[in-house]
Amino acid sequence: MVKGKRKPLKQIQDSIKDYNKVLTVGCGGCVSICLAGGQKEVIALNTELNVTFKLEKIETRLDAYTVERQCNMNFLAELDKVVEKYDCLMSMACGAGVQLLAERFHQKPVIPAINTMAIGIDRGVGLYEERCRACGECVIGFTGGICPVTRCAKGLFNGPCGGVNNGQCEANKDAPCAWVDIYNRLKEQNRLDSILKFQETMLWQNQTQRTIIQEPYEKRYYEKS
Amino acid sequence: MPETEAKPEAPDRKEILEFLSEHKTKMKLFLKVCAHCGLCAESCFIYTTRGCKPEYMPSHKMINSIGKLYKKKGKVSWETFEEIKEIVWKRCVLCTRCYCPLGIDIPEMIALARSICRSQNVLPDFDEE
Repeated sequence: MVKGKRKPLKQIQDSIKDYNKVLTVGCGGCVSICLAGGQKEVIALNTELNVTFKLEKIETRLDAYTVERQCNMNFLAELDKVVEKYDCLMSMACGAGVQLLAERFHQKPVIPAINTMAIGIDRGVGLYEERCRACGECVIGFTGGICPVTRCAKGLFNGPCGGVNNGQCEANKDAPCAWVDIYNRLKEQNRLDSILKFQETMLWQNQTQRTIIQEPYEKRYYEKS
Repeated sequence: MPETEAKPEAPDRKEILEFLSEHKTKMKLFLKVCAHCGLCAESCFIYTTRGCKPEYMPSHKMINSIGKLYKKKGKVSWETFEEIKEIVWKRCVLCTRCYCPLGIDIPEMIALARSICRSQNVLPDFDEE
């Protein structure tokens, strides 16, 4: 799931201090689950901002509203009547949610309050690890279920670099080398031959925005366009 | 209601009624036309992966959340809200994939029930151990 982290309070404060009425919009989806932008976090952020604004005698008024999901237009409809009263919206959703909110209410400035960090896994309450960068070219079937794009600092596709030292990564000495882990995993499964096949390099440059259409729906959407 | 405020004795009925009256037409129609055909159940992955138990049927979830709030005209206890919370957050992920041959928008109704819960500060516990 998408993982986010709240921006520093000072940064948020600076981005909204010039507006009189701000609506903080939470999201009930992924960012609620990773404790970054759900209703509880919206209330906490507004409380903190109100205190700092009061101390600095800034007259920004903050209200809160949480929708079930900011990345789905249907769930944004309930905001139609609410946003009129505000001159700025502050979104606590992931980058996708912020952009859809900005698309629906294009006449209002929309400011993000969280940074979208990763597609990750849950290790504990409030503790998450990145596992996927949504590169669109999944190779983990060859690499023993370990993603070289995410785990390797250089995103290498065909084995480790020369910087690996005693199984550790040269970019971060506390992190194990992804390719050492891949080798050990495949060796355990007796599948080392799968990394002997050459993987083409990925075309990172000149990437365009992706649209995802599931196969059974291709006909429907291609006919429309 | 800010989280820091003490919990009132009972949920704010006036506020609940405001939500209900705003969506009354659609809600009344949806609750009335549900034919209990069970077709929505097959389109719900939670229902199919959790032993096809009736409590996971989308229609069941709708009737026992927003339906209950509507039937009791918003006069419900905190215990009822806890039951609704369990239904709308733990038994439904709002994937919006449930299919109704009569055109009932079940996700919209579940989302409405969630909004009412949110208005009463009844929230999912994503931070529980």
